[in-house]
Amino acid sequence: MKINWFSPLPPARSGIAQNFAIQLLPTLARHHEIVLWTDQDQTAPEVQSMARVVHYAPADPPWREINNGTISIYHLGNQADLHGGIWQMSLRQPGIVVLHDLRMHDFFFMFWVHYRKDRDSYLAALERWYGGEGRRAGEAFCRGGISPESMAQEFPLTREATRGALGVVTHSNPALAGLKETPECPVTVLEHPFAAAEESRYRQWLAARSAAPRPPYRLVVFGYLSRNRRLEVVLEALAGIPARQQFRLDVCGQLWDEGHIRAQIERLGLGSLVKLLGFLPESLVEQKLSTADLAINLRYPSMGEASGSQLQFWNYGLPTLVTRTGWYASLPEDAVAFVRPDNEIEDIQSHLRVFLADPGAFRAMGERGRQSLENNDPEKYVDAMTQFAAMALRRSPLVPALALAGRIGNDLSAWLHPAASAYLLDRASQEIVTIWPGKTGGQDE
Amino acid sequence: MKVLVVTSGVPFIRGGAEILADNLCQALSAAGHAAELISIPFKHYPPSRIPDHILACRLLDLTETCGVRIDRVIGLKFPAYLIPHPNKVIWLLHQHRTAYELWNQPIAEDLIHYPDGPAVREAIRQADRELIPEAKAVYAQCQNVANRLRRYSGIDAEPLYSPPAHVGLFYNRTAGDYFFFPSRVTGVKRQSLVIEALARCRERTLVRFAGEPDSPRELAACVEAIRQLKVEDRVEWLGLVSEERKRDLYANCLGVIFPPVDEDYGYVTLEAMLSSKPVITCSDSGGPLEFVVDGQTGLVADSTPESLARAMDALWAGRRGAAAMGEAGWARYADLKISWEHVVETLL
Amino acid sequence: MPNKHGLRILIATVRVPFVNGGAEIHAEGLCRALREAGHQAEIIAIPFKWYPPERILDQMLACRLLDLSETVGVAVDRLIGLKFPAYLIPHPRKVIWLLHQHRQAYDLWKHPLDDLDRYPNGDEVRAAIVRADTELIPQALHVFANSRNVAGRLEKFCGVQAAPLYHPPRDATLFHTLPAEDFLYFPSRINPLKRQDLVIEALAQTRLPVKVYFSGSADEATFERKCAALAQKHGCANRVQWLGTVSEEKKRDLYARTLGVLFPPIDEDYGYITLEAMLAQKPVITCADSGGPLEFVIERQTGIVAEPTPEALAAAMDNLWADRERARQWGEAGRQRYDSLHIDWGHVVEKLLA
Repeated sequence: MKINWFSPLPPARSGIAQNFAIQLLPTLARHHEIVLWTDQDQTAPEVQSMARVVHYAPADPPWREINNGTISIYHLGNQADLHGGIWQMSLRQPGIVVLHDLRMHDFFFMFWVHYRKDRDSYLAALERWYGGEGRRAGEAFCRGGISPESMAQEFPLTREATRGALGVVTHSNPALAGLKETPECPVTVLEHPFAAAEESRYRQWLAARSAAPRPPYRLVVFGYLSRNRRLEVVLEALAGIPARQQFRLDVCGQLWDEGHIRAQIERLGLGSLVKLLGFLPESLVEQKLSTADLAINLRYPSMGEASGSQLQFWNYGLPTLVTRTGWYASLPEDAVAFVRPDNEIEDIQSHLRVFLADPGAFRAMGERGRQSLENNDPEKYVDAMTQFAAMALRRSPLVPALALAGRIGNDLSAWLHPAASAYLLDRASQEIVTIWPGKTGGQDE
Repeated sequence: MKVLVVTSGVPFIRGGAEILADNLCQALSAAGHAAELISIPFKHYPPSRIPDHILACRLLDLTETCGVRIDRVIGLKFPAYLIPHPNKVIWLLHQHRTAYELWNQPIAEDLIHYPDGPAVREAIRQADRELIPEAKAVYAQCQNVANRLRRYSGIDAEPLYSPPAHVGLFYNRTAGDYFFFPSRVTGVKRQSLVIEALARCRERTLVRFAGEPDSPRELAACVEAIRQLKVEDRVEWLGLVSEERKRDLYANCLGVIFPPVDEDYGYVTLEAMLSSKPVITCSDSGGPLEFVVDGQTGLVADSTPESLARAMDALWAGRRGAAAMGEAGWARYADLKISWEHVVETLL
Repeated sequence: MPNKHGLRILIATVRVPFVNGGAEIHAEGLCRALREAGHQAEIIAIPFKWYPPERILDQMLACRLLDLSETVGVAVDRLIGLKFPAYLIPHPRKVIWLLHQHRQAYDLWKHPLDDLDRYPNGDEVRAAIVRADTELIPQALHVFANSRNVAGRLEKFCGVQAAPLYHPPRDATLFHTLPAEDFLYFPSRINPLKRQDLVIEALAQTRLPVKVYFSGSADEATFERKCAALAQKHGCANRVQWLGTVSEEKKRDLYARTLGVLFPPIDEDYGYITLEAMLAQKPVITCADSGGPLEFVIERQTGIVAEPTPEALAAAMDNLWADRERARQWGEAGRQRYDSLHIDWGHVVEKLLA
């Protein structure tokens, strides 16, 4: 197949760009001809060596070139600046939508209200799927009266994100099960792809880890650290255990509010234990992870996303603390250490104490995590995606057929007498379904 | 029998398909049947509206009129051939070509330029696949069209040839000093290719073009090409000519040039043969290749200006050979037994 | 070459396969007139089958789905809609010149000759037709009607205004006049709405030996047989001639030679026959409920408007038969009236394209 691939790409600061795309593209490019479509100003040379990168302007896409491809695959997530153009493209040409975040309210608020100053479209989207209640909630949210988490929970706008999609791919079964709405097309769940490092390299990391003197044990937090990464809670927990001197915590990543965290560290007297290292370049990531002992990868609330970074931790055989929610809740009990969302500090402290008592048990946990990466083999992902795409393509006539039905409904409502409308709408629908049969939704086998 | 011939048409455009539809009606009448032509207007852009036209056709009822049964419906073009009828026969002149072999053909492509082009293409293909087999029998204008139907839709059709209009009125005169290219002026007919070939001819070949452009843009493009290649004195634009004048132009030409891209059928080829004239066509011209025998009834060039120029030069320089080829073309037509009686018999 | 001087105009009408009636002639006349005025014009004729009633709804939708706004990238400047449901085809610059609406939903609803009300869903479909006409006809740039009669129905049933716009019959210039001979002439399709049977009943009651020639094809064989039997029964069969379908030339010749034209249809939309008679300078006998003809016939000036009874019609026929000179004068007056009404294609084209 010739695939049009619409995704954020490095150097964009997103897990989808940095983890997902990098993990998958080499394997994908071995099986299919890929064109990476981007509206970013820059793309990393590393990506350009994997596949052909073509720039497009969402305002005026080169449809002729795009239509040389067999199918378009669109990657969506909550960062509106990275995914806005992609979502717009997905509306104009139906394809496969890969939902990296299932709950997309954040995206739509930022896309419409923050970037486009278009509150009407945001409210219209809420009303489209949730009626007057949705619109009122949106208005309240704009006034600051409702939390983003609450909006994401009640009005996820998943269907808005997948309007017109031929098929939807997600990476988390529990997250999908937790949604109260399903996209109006086939949905499939695939394991987040991850190309594990070769065994020899892994052995080197293990050697490096055991070479370093212990204690202190090295704790590590990584990634795009927004509030839901629970860093404040981790600091509170660490400050509260007597044996805290046995740990060092490296915070590697972009903080949503560095000043606030620094103040907290100072207030808690953790200055000698906690380092804020900022966003680490690729070369230092390996050094940091191969010498760490425990990764802390909490998320609460979760937007449903699978964690590429969790797979990265397992790649390094790192035991991890995760919140028992969303995708994380489905991880094997013996490959992670769970933290309950309503008992965060207690659970973190409990795990740290157990760690000190039996570090070997935690190392074994990390090892088991590493082994489970078999399920994330990019070859499996590409294979499953290819079959799903073939199925989705067979559904493509449904999109213009449904659009036709919609147009008929609109026109008839302007002039057709109600007494005759049941007959004529039925007649038209029957005829449309006869010519272009196909289910519109449901999870595929 | 009461027979309706149904076709799709673009208002204000009259081409080979319209002529064939009229001739079919006349032939049916001549055979003693009551025949009428129904032409449903079809606007094929934007692509999103194509399903509308398909549905519109499906909603029509041609089963009877004022209590009298309509015995047979003969469908010719997309989407009119999708109009339902219990006794329908399809004589396929056209599927919607830009959804098939012209999908990414630079001269003629259309759907591929739209974001919903691919989806509508699949919708068209699905409609054809599902609904064409409703017909009692499916025939095709020529082998080329039948092949495409098999390849893309998995449906079998027998070729059924039709004679050009006024088949008995063509005649032959001594060859004059021009090639004749009668056709609608539009990308697929490739007048532009002939203009480029003219610039590469060694002989002082002259081409007379007859026919109307589909849109002003088409003609402007040719005129510009002529100007740039400085072949104004080798070209004559006759515009729309009367049938009588057209036959005369055939009769007096040295040979006929007809190099369209993947033409479905091509009356021009047959008209040339009926006028005992050789035909220059191209290896990718489609329909004409079912009739032109390279080196015997005409020349099959590659679709490049150089190759076409060579062929034109060959006929220009070898008049006797050209005349002999023309005679051979006439004999071949007779062998093929193309007649309206046969068509009517087959379709009913 | 596309015409650079005129507009591109499509005429939207319907056709009933194998039936060629007044509506086809109208569309063709309009098309010719537009072309003569320097425009590009073409007729779009949608096949129409009105039974069972739900088919009507199907075809209304089919018309709404068509796109005639442009062809090959060039705008279609006007869509002139003539008949239901073709005039429902959407277009930004539509002009409706109503020949008639779907009469079975209107003035012919529950009429003995109507069939719509005999279906279980007849009323639903009727309501749908009325609603569609009411909502969609006014979306046109201009709304014209074939006659005041048709305009009146549109106003009465749909509350929509239309201006009457008359047009000439086919070959108007070829009609001529000759001294009157001994017959009255009733040229028309033979069907119950035209009321050839009424004329025969009237003929039975004339005092004078009035003779009537009927020409025209029968829409249904049963009615024609009924009329013939009626003539037999009343003993006036020897004063009746059934000429069947005659050529246009022959028809004009009959008009030229007749003493007067009989045309007493029920609620006719328009009535070419009235105009043809006037062109041939002949008086017209029509009835008070005949509709269209009443817009042209002036009682005792260009003809007679009789009550639709055999007695009244018989009296009218006797009247004409008895006074040949007066009949001739009325005929002349009829011609003058025709000329005064601007019934020409140039006027039509001007109004439609304004």
